[in-house]
Amino acid sequence: MSFATTPRPRIEIEPATSPRLEPFVPLPRSRSAPGSLTLMLGGLAVLVVGFALLQIANFVADQFARGPLLGTLTLAIALGGLGLLGLAVWREIAGLFAIAAVDGLRADFASGDAERMRMAARSWLGRLPEGDQYAMIGASAEPAALLGLLRAGPVAMLRSQADALGREAAVQIFAATAAIPSPALDGLLVAWRGIRLVRQVAVLHGLRPGLLGTFALLRRALLSAAGTAAANLAVDTLARAVLSNPLLQHLAGDVAGASVAARRTLVLARVAAAACSPVPDA
Amino acid sequence: MMPRMAPRSVTVVGPDAAAAARGRQVLRIGVTGLARAGKTAFLSSAAANLLAPRTGLPVLSRRLAGRLVRVAIAPAGAESMPRFDFRRHLATLAADPPRWPARTEAVSLLALDLDIARPGLARALPPRRLRLEFLDYPGEWLLDLPLLGQDFRQWSEAALARLQTLAPLPARAFLDFLRALPARAGADEPLAETGHGLYRALLNRLREEGGLAMLQPGRFLMPAPGPEPPWMAFFPLQGGGGGLFRLLAARYDAYRRAVARDLVSPGFGRLDRLVVLADVLSALHAGPAAFADMADALGSIAEALRWRRSRTLRLPQLGTLRLPAWLGPGGIGRVAFAATKADHVAERQRASLAALMRAMTLLPDAAGEARAAVFAIAAVRCAEDFVWTLDGGNVAAVRGRVLGDERLTRSYPGEVPDRLPGAAFWAQPFLALPQFEPMRLPDGGAAGVPQIGLDALIGFLLDDVL
Repeated sequence: MSFATTPRPRIEIEPATSPRLEPFVPLPRSRSAPGSLTLMLGGLAVLVVGFALLQIANFVADQFARGPLLGTLTLAIALGGLGLLGLAVWREIAGLFAIAAVDGLRADFASGDAERMRMAARSWLGRLPEGDQYAMIGASAEPAALLGLLRAGPVAMLRSQADALGREAAVQIFAATAAIPSPALDGLLVAWRGIRLVRQVAVLHGLRPGLLGTFALLRRALLSAAGTAAANLAVDTLARAVLSNPLLQHLAGDVAGASVAARRTLVLARVAAAACSPVPDA
Repeated sequence: MMPRMAPRSVTVVGPDAAAAARGRQVLRIGVTGLARAGKTAFLSSAAANLLAPRTGLPVLSRRLAGRLVRVAIAPAGAESMPRFDFRRHLATLAADPPRWPARTEAVSLLALDLDIARPGLARALPPRRLRLEFLDYPGEWLLDLPLLGQDFRQWSEAALARLQTLAPLPARAFLDFLRALPARAGADEPLAETGHGLYRALLNRLREEGGLAMLQPGRFLMPAPGPEPPWMAFFPLQGGGGGLFRLLAARYDAYRRAVARDLVSPGFGRLDRLVVLADVLSALHAGPAAFADMADALGSIAEALRWRRSRTLRLPQLGTLRLPAWLGPGGIGRVAFAATKADHVAERQRASLAALMRAMTLLPDAAGEARAAVFAIAAVRCAEDFVWTLDGGNVAAVRGRVLGDERLTRSYPGEVPDRLPGAAFWAQPFLALPQFEPMRLPDGGAAGVPQIGLDALIGFLLDDVL
């Protein structure tokens, strides 16, 4: 490419119309190809599910060969079992979609379009267990007022309820981890109670995530609220630093560890609430 | 190199008191600009991008490596300083079709609360709680600083010489009035009022129509809040020891005392950082007189802020005036001079624009200067770079949509000099900048505002607190 040394300055208008300029946004990093472990687990799942289905089909066919009544009974049992499994899978997927819908509502609230925001508010309040008491907010004409009312009303209410759930879980974890002698059991208890807490907070926000949805929510919570997670990590690091001293470890005993776990639970409740709420912070 | 200086701890009264009570370290950044430099756009963009640092300020965000825990607009509490209406200005930029925010005519404050995790092992400690206060500081007021070192006679001589050189035609009515004054005119109030009215109208006209910046006294253009005191009614007058001259000189001294008083007031008296914005590209278009005027204004501001390095020379000039707190020890820690609208020239010209700004502020090269820096920025980006084939060669140009037109406008205004331009430069035209519309704001502004160079500028201002 060659650049002229002294071209005459000029300004010209292009003949065709053009859409409004967009800033250059770096493309999101493309997902890397699935790793070996993913491929291995995927293959295993295909084998197990595929052969299990084939096995069931063969078994049903064999039973029909033995007698029509026996075959019909086997088919009914197989369909019943598979139906229940399908229902569970469907509920998982629906749970995942419900969580994804939070993003849609977030986009609506960030649009600045009054009508779109009102629709989003009505839709979200309709899903909340106690959304009826805030129905009047959906009629608010001003976008800023609408957001302000949502923050002051349902969001504040949900946050305080999530805090209450977090405190309840923290007390349980504090008591249990201080009492349970095995560190492995401690970890299991904390993990189980944490997952349960996330589900409780999600239900509070009108979401009913299944197992996959809960994990998606956990992941989203950790990613979207990195700030709170950082605070959590800071507490954790501090506690670990203190407890790594053998003398202090002896003095502090398990109670300090339990208090850290409890504190993490409180933070988790806040993080989960932030991940479930479509209303942007002020 | 000057030593690094941390912002002062909060032992202040007035607007900072509420924040201090909440244990936040307050860092006050004065943002000032010369003649439509884009102060409102700068403040709106800075706030929007600090609220969404990951997308808005990617360089700063990478540098912080996830340590920026929380950013929020600080509540106004019971403070008396008007707040910068960030939401309204952002909505204006994000609207479709977009508009530029209206020019602000009053002083305002934009406050953001930041929680920043500490680096390294100190991460275990609670995060640093910081309040950034961007004070929309009138550029006109900054131009009053040189008055502190001039008496009425010196100022009158300089001001009238400038008028006769730069704007003899617009100034004709005022200059004719001066010529018609009796040699030893008495202290006549109607005469003082008439002369003041003519001079003030002239300053306004020179700013609005001539695009001039070095217009003193600044408070004639941007009065302080509240009713106007009688000592404001003065104007430059040469020679003569008559009663009118003594009256105007006394009023000028009262004005200087008020300037010094304002500089130590709780509202304006404490600045930790200063950003000086100037539309250098438009001055290049306006011609040698306007450019020289802007260079004078920037040079005067830089000189007034440079006193710390030559205080033995400056202190006698300050005479009996009280030393402004924000120029005193522990005052402004960093000053950023920024040439705005840098997106109106192609990327390869932006370094020249910054170098030109450096030459205008007479700052030494970067190597020896740690506390003042120059930048070429576009707080709200509105044009994209492209290669334009002109006169058989390729030129790095820009293009964008002009407000109200759905077609793209290509612009190659000319070459930006990297030093103070000489006669050869003025022989070539430097075209006016098209009034481009802002680029579309991602996510309606919630993901920040597209910008150029704002990252580096904010990083420089906050370097020692990050």
